[in-house]
Amino acid sequence: MSEMWINMGPQHPMTHGLWNLRVRIDGELVLEVDPEMGYLHRGIEKISEDRHYNEVITLMDRTCYVAGMAWENLFILGAEQALHVEPPERAKWIRTLSEEFQRIGSHVMWYAAFVQDIGLMAPFLYGMRDRDLVLDLFQSYTGARMTYEYNRVGGVRNDLPPGFIDRARKVCDWLLDRFQEYDDLCLGSDIFRKRCDGLGVLKAADCVRAGITGPMLRSAGVKRDVRKDRPYNAYDQVEFDVAVADGADVTARYLVRMEELRQSVRIIRQCLDWLERNPGPAMAENLPRWMGAPYAPVGKEGYLLKRNYPKGVGLSAIEEPHGEALAYVVNEGGEHPYRVKLKSPIFTNLSAAKHYLVGYRVADIPPIMGSVDVCVGEVDR
Amino acid sequence: MSTVTLYSVANGLIVAILTGLYSVLPHAYFGWLVNPDLILVLSVLVFGAILLAASMINTIMLIWYERKLLGRFMDRRGAMHVGYAGLLQNFADGIKLFRKNTYKPRDADGLGFYAAPTAYMVTSVMIFAILPASWGWTAGPLPLSLLLALVVFSFAPLFIFLSAWSQANKYSLIGGMRSAAQMIAYEVPILLAVVAVVIVSGTFDLTTIVTMQTNYWFGIPLFVALIVFVTGMLAEMERIPFDLPEAEAELVEGWNTEYGGMLFAFFMLSDYLRALIGSFLVVLLFLGGWTMPGWVPSSLTALPLAALFWFLLKTYIVFGVFVWVRASLPRVRTDQLLRIGWMRMVPLSLLAIVLAALLVLAKCLPVLGCLPGVGG
Amino acid sequence: MEASARLFQRDLMGKLSKRFPTGFLGLDPFPGTFGRIRFDPAIALELFREIRDVHAFEHLAMVAGIDWVERREVLYTVWSDVHRGYLLLSAMLPAERPHIETATTVWPSANWHERETWELVDITFDHHPDLRNLLLPTGYQFHPLLRSFKLHEPEELEVKVRHV
Repeated sequence: MSEMWINMGPQHPMTHGLWNLRVRIDGELVLEVDPEMGYLHRGIEKISEDRHYNEVITLMDRTCYVAGMAWENLFILGAEQALHVEPPERAKWIRTLSEEFQRIGSHVMWYAAFVQDIGLMAPFLYGMRDRDLVLDLFQSYTGARMTYEYNRVGGVRNDLPPGFIDRARKVCDWLLDRFQEYDDLCLGSDIFRKRCDGLGVLKAADCVRAGITGPMLRSAGVKRDVRKDRPYNAYDQVEFDVAVADGADVTARYLVRMEELRQSVRIIRQCLDWLERNPGPAMAENLPRWMGAPYAPVGKEGYLLKRNYPKGVGLSAIEEPHGEALAYVVNEGGEHPYRVKLKSPIFTNLSAAKHYLVGYRVADIPPIMGSVDVCVGEVDR
Repeated sequence: MSTVTLYSVANGLIVAILTGLYSVLPHAYFGWLVNPDLILVLSVLVFGAILLAASMINTIMLIWYERKLLGRFMDRRGAMHVGYAGLLQNFADGIKLFRKNTYKPRDADGLGFYAAPTAYMVTSVMIFAILPASWGWTAGPLPLSLLLALVVFSFAPLFIFLSAWSQANKYSLIGGMRSAAQMIAYEVPILLAVVAVVIVSGTFDLTTIVTMQTNYWFGIPLFVALIVFVTGMLAEMERIPFDLPEAEAELVEGWNTEYGGMLFAFFMLSDYLRALIGSFLVVLLFLGGWTMPGWVPSSLTALPLAALFWFLLKTYIVFGVFVWVRASLPRVRTDQLLRIGWMRMVPLSLLAIVLAALLVLAKCLPVLGCLPGVGG
Repeated sequence: MEASARLFQRDLMGKLSKRFPTGFLGLDPFPGTFGRIRFDPAIALELFREIRDVHAFEHLAMVAGIDWVERREVLYTVWSDVHRGYLLLSAMLPAERPHIETATTVWPSANWHERETWELVDITFDHHPDLRNLLLPTGYQFHPLLRSFKLHEPEELEVKVRHV
């Protein structure tokens, strides 16, 4: 058969979102790839320029729909730096807790989608089942399951409800057992190892050159994690290890993510201990009324509140479940941020697609792209 | 031998209806009703109708069974809402598919597009007339029924490739080629495994093969052949871990991507028909067919359809194993699949033949002593 | 950490001003990073090479374009595994035909970032290997992240203003 181009997407089971992977194949062999993005471009950066800081948080939840809390944290860190606001200690710990829960939610979701891509049917449902527990926890203290709108400039909207800590501890215990079950189902299967070993290899030097971050980079043995290298929130006070592997292939990415899940549970337990011992305000005191309000009173009673902001600019970086995410927030003293620039880790991970896809087979594309963990929402923004 | 056969049921039905009509209507006009030729033609038609209905209902129940079983494997309950425990869910799905418009992509080749699913379906149903499900539960004495069934079974790649090519869709084409390669590759070990059975039994007649397994199952001495046959059948049925022709992760829906409505239902039903046929063949060839073990009380074995029930029970258990495999294994890749087929399955099946031949030669084996027809 | 960072900052400033006597315009403090280097777009390529090869900032994390109406700013954020910190590189471009040398030859990861900046903020990257639309449809004529691109008409926002 002669060479041909096929469009994997924008509506295709492999994409897990809306994007188009154009592939030139010869038989089953991949010769060239060209990702086409933009099907989910909603102009979040532009809309942010027209909204109050607390309203932008609504958009951040939608940036990556499986890791909304991480993006909220990211933006709020940048915004607080730009607005010269310092959140109280308890809010930092709650944010750390939320981000780790979000990491579990995102990674478990990744697991479900990834095993589905290589044809494992039952673990898909196991992953979704366990993610639901995390979403239930989110619901109990933020009121929402996916789009939380929980962070505020200067803290978090509300403190944890009573009984939450015990519940969260139970979920942690249950999840640790389930992670073992995941490993048994995948690593214990010869077919899984045959499919995934030596697939989508991208060595450390190539990863760094291509700007790849997150579990994909750590699977190549590079120990770079924003949580350790440039601690934010309460990450300088918790103990955890950075998960690394040396395979640089799909199996190594699987191992890194599974280890991260376990480390997340470890961090969450420390957060829960701290939060139990240290009650306090979850929102900064003596903020201007508009800044810490549970909702932004823009347009209330037909008034637009005129605010006097100090000018500033903030750069925040967090280790999102998918990798290193950056937010650059410019505050020119107006009602709204002057410019919000978001950098998604998947954006760069995807831009290097040709380095880890070319030379493999069509049947290898779903597992490799699955191991990249694409979330198109944050690529297109 | 039980006296109730499928043909006798159909024949009796027709005779009863015609005699009834004859008795109420004046003799002068309807004397030709009780004509042996007419009765024969009508009986054959009714026989076919019963067979079709039975195989269809069985297939639909099989889908329900798979959904429920798969649900349990996945920690959920499966279909629950239509009918008791979702029993009618598949009928609802079927009605929905019936009501849908069938359409053809503009560039698709009309003849192939419509002919392929029909032919696929027809050849799949045809096998049910060949396979005996119980005493006399078949079209008639067929001395080469096993061979015929396997020949008809292996038509499938042709129609799949025909439909894949006529759809004018690249995913379908890739899926069709994978499917053809896979089915042809796995036909070989399946046939070789069957040869092992034939060597031991000395016949191609499925009814005789089942009769020979009254005392013990062929699956026990021919264990290697059983393994090869079941694995090959998994590939022929295109089920996980060998479902790469329709690997939805990369090929959307494989070779039936462009089909919708009833044409898709044809493919879907045929897939399950073939799954049922595969389970039938495993039971017939290796697991003793409808022969019941000695500990079953004779009051039960004397019931009219006891043998059929026993056979279906075994079939469903075998299919349950296929579902179990589907729920717990990932999918292999094309090259890995073909390598398994040619490098592992074919040598294993040759080994199975050698083992079978040795068993026949060593007729002094106590287990073979009680086998009629082996070694003279 | 803070002291060593300041030391590194001073060291970097000295080295760069010696290496680029005209193009290097200064190093401002920027909280949470090693600072922000302001540079003349004419020295872009040499500066990138210097930053990557000599100062070991091997990871380009982000390229951002900011429209300051009368000028455009292009901002590179780089990370060093050796120094464990971010460094910002910022160049001011004229609003008329803003263009700068591409960073893809130095950091291949700049590819998509620059495509995005090109289509959203209208900054041309010279010698970019593949300057096509990324997020917007091919042939889209507007640059949404410019301040002149309005999301809605101003009269919709007419509400009474109360000072707090």
